[in-house]
Amino acid sequence: MENPTATKPSMLPVVEMATRLMEKNLGSGLWDAQVREPDVLWFRIDRQMLRTATVVLLKELKARFLISAGTDLRAQEKGYGILHLFSLDREGVFLALDCLVPEWEERIDSITPLIPGADWSERECRDAVGVEARGHPDPRRLILPDDWPEGAFPLRRDFPYNERPPAAEGVRPAPKEHPEGTTVIPIGPFFPSLEEPSNWRIFLEGETVKGCDYRGFYNHRGIEKLGDSVLTWDRIPYVAERICGICGFIHSTCYCQAAEKAAGLQPPRRAEFIRTLMLELERIHSHLLWLGIAGHIVGFDTVLMQTWRIREPVMWLSEEISGNRKTYGMNAVGGVRRDIRPEQMPKIQDVVRKVEEEVLALKKAIVGDTTLLARTRGVGILTEQWAKEICVVGPPARASGVPIDARLDHPYAAYDAVPPTLCTQEEGDTWARVLVRVDEVVDATRIIRECLDQMPAGPVMSVMEGEFPDGRVGVSVVEAPRGEAIHFVMTGGLNRPYRWRVRAPTYPNLQAMPAMIQDQQLADVPIILGSLDPCFSCTERMEAVDRRTGARRVYSWEELETMARRAAEERGAPS
Amino acid sequence: MNTSVLSSLGMVLLNVALALLLSPLVEGILRKLKAAIHSRQGPPIWQPYLDLLKLLGKEDLRTSADPFYRAAPALGLASVLLLATLVPMGSAPPLGFAGDIVVLIYVAAMSAVILILVAYGSGSPYAFVGGSREMMVLLTVEPVVAVTLLVGAMKAGTLATGQILAWHAGNGPTISMILAGIALFLAVQAQAGKLPFDIPEADQEIMGGPLVEQSGPRLALLRWTLWAKQLVFAFLLVEIFVPWPRTGWVLPDLLLALVKVMVVLVLVALVDVVNPRLRVEQAMGYYFRVAISSLAALAFAVIGM
Repeated sequence: MENPTATKPSMLPVVEMATRLMEKNLGSGLWDAQVREPDVLWFRIDRQMLRTATVVLLKELKARFLISAGTDLRAQEKGYGILHLFSLDREGVFLALDCLVPEWEERIDSITPLIPGADWSERECRDAVGVEARGHPDPRRLILPDDWPEGAFPLRRDFPYNERPPAAEGVRPAPKEHPEGTTVIPIGPFFPSLEEPSNWRIFLEGETVKGCDYRGFYNHRGIEKLGDSVLTWDRIPYVAERICGICGFIHSTCYCQAAEKAAGLQPPRRAEFIRTLMLELERIHSHLLWLGIAGHIVGFDTVLMQTWRIREPVMWLSEEISGNRKTYGMNAVGGVRRDIRPEQMPKIQDVVRKVEEEVLALKKAIVGDTTLLARTRGVGILTEQWAKEICVVGPPARASGVPIDARLDHPYAAYDAVPPTLCTQEEGDTWARVLVRVDEVVDATRIIRECLDQMPAGPVMSVMEGEFPDGRVGVSVVEAPRGEAIHFVMTGGLNRPYRWRVRAPTYPNLQAMPAMIQDQQLADVPIILGSLDPCFSCTERMEAVDRRTGARRVYSWEELETMARRAAEERGAPS
Repeated sequence: MNTSVLSSLGMVLLNVALALLLSPLVEGILRKLKAAIHSRQGPPIWQPYLDLLKLLGKEDLRTSADPFYRAAPALGLASVLLLATLVPMGSAPPLGFAGDIVVLIYVAAMSAVILILVAYGSGSPYAFVGGSREMMVLLTVEPVVAVTLLVGAMKAGTLATGQILAWHAGNGPTISMILAGIALFLAVQAQAGKLPFDIPEADQEIMGGPLVEQSGPRLALLRWTLWAKQLVFAFLLVEIFVPWPRTGWVLPDLLLALVKVMVVLVLVALVDVVNPRLRVEQAMGYYFRVAISSLAALAFAVIGM
């Protein structure tokens, strides 16, 4: 078997060119450049040179910003590691800018003035690790609750995962001032057409939107913190799967791939095909779910009811394959835990064929609906330029003519053998986003059929020899239905990641909202937001908030288990 | 003299009872129809009655102590019941008099105006947006209703609804009456608060608009108002613009009218179920065009066609 950690020969020219460019522009500011496991070109740079380096990546290399990760490295290097990840989509290479911020300084230059899409990443870094971004245009709190005390940084190593600091007194939220002459309409924290809490304050002039303010992150579950403090490398896939209730398999695949890259483990080919198949099944049911909700938001409940009827057999099929409608529990580092049996194959073919037929019929019906067109065409336009600057991913990016798709740019699992079709539109409006998703459902049915045809025989799991290695990194991207999900794993002994960074696709996409609703009608705000297919709880999986408002009763694990058993016994189920 | 007072009192009671008691049943049938198109089983046909009973039994909560605000839902329902007595249902309108069609046009707008006042009184920003949308819809739909009824008045040469009905039943269809009938049919969609024109309520955008702060008995009365209103408007449409065949007996005429009303409301429900919601300015543009065509009907009436 080929060494999975080896750098692909096709990467070498771009690696060489990028390194030369950085040397030329940074001089002695470039401390080190090396290719790490196996497709990350890693630059250690002087923190003073961060903006220069960022400009080089953006302007000369046309790199796309992915995400930042702050790491507490005080024990090893007396400072905080600030990592900015970029992607070269054409070449399939990740670029990392790694700076060390000394313990006593706790600040670094902000790159948000250069990349508007880095806004949230840097605020999150400040909240969680305590490294401030100097020159950030909007340095308000992002992820921490308003009554979280100053100076308590949940992702620092000396902050225990179960720590519950006392609430700060006399604090208030810091909402943005609304422009003069506008009225404020709140959408959320709880709002009928948003399935999850998020608070948008819409500034209105008449019914025209003149700006907005976002406060979210009400759903923190401290998942990243758990990953680097409590869990071990092999348990994380099951927690990762619970990041999202719709695209859980995407997150478990993404984590497993990052861990496999870090550990140098190659999953068997059959496992990669099974992952591909499950990922595409998830895309089908997620897009159909979205199409239904989008219909519901504009009051078109017939679309909601019919798409969900089409979707249901896919859920039954997932249950037949994995034992669960959702949250399959199939992924493990090294492969998958369940094989697809030969007798299941015709069933999968049948379901997929039926879905394709019905989706094509549905497409015909909605394309001819002039009222639907009136509500979606030209509504919530995201220009190509904005999509690139805010680093939007997935269907919203493709609907604005940005040709990115992680399945093609950084092929993973079996997508090298069954490549997807790039579905793009140019208009960037809500209708374009509808079309992209409908086309992707149809394409997913083709990918599943090709997967079944080409799936090789063999084992489905590679076993890791020895411990989870130390001092390695792994970057993995997976094209979720909502866009590109990123998992970054940095190992550090103790059989667990030292840092596990997750970025769900809604994280960048939601940042495009203010640009998309500017000067639109209030009536269109819900469908514009809906057209991003936002998934708030995926976006908000960070840091350790465990405080319960109200009852303040905290159940221990044992208590919960006893309660669950008692309930089961009362229902007469065998425990 | 005495018998005529008694019989018109009976007719008043009949119309009020129809509007009050039959409208939830009609709504229930429409819900069942909608469910069938959704591939759903849908609630039982009598569910709207249960909804009303449940809501009427709840605590009465108000966001304003203003006496008018307190009475508004009852006034809304009363205005629709008054409208029912001015609309022919199987016979001439029981409270008809010379010139009653002018009153009818005013009374037809009353329940919407009351809903707007409820919205502004309830103090919620969503209700406020809903109220202003209701106002905009009212301002564009109401002229359509007025012009189409004027076409009838002009053709029959009278301002009494009962005489317009008798004239039309006797003289058969004309171009102007057909055009006006189509325009009024299109207006019923908005008057009934159905998609694509349920813009003032728009659950997913403004959480029910004027109704957002309404609950319990108040919500029951406001819902009942809307259901009764769609039934009464359908009666108005079929009795004035499709009055044939006419037996002259109250009961058979009423049953015939009921069948026609159901046809109209089923069509309205079908449009509702295959359309998403328009934005308010799109709806206004639409009704502006409908108003233009109703003016064309008026022009035909003027030249005697």
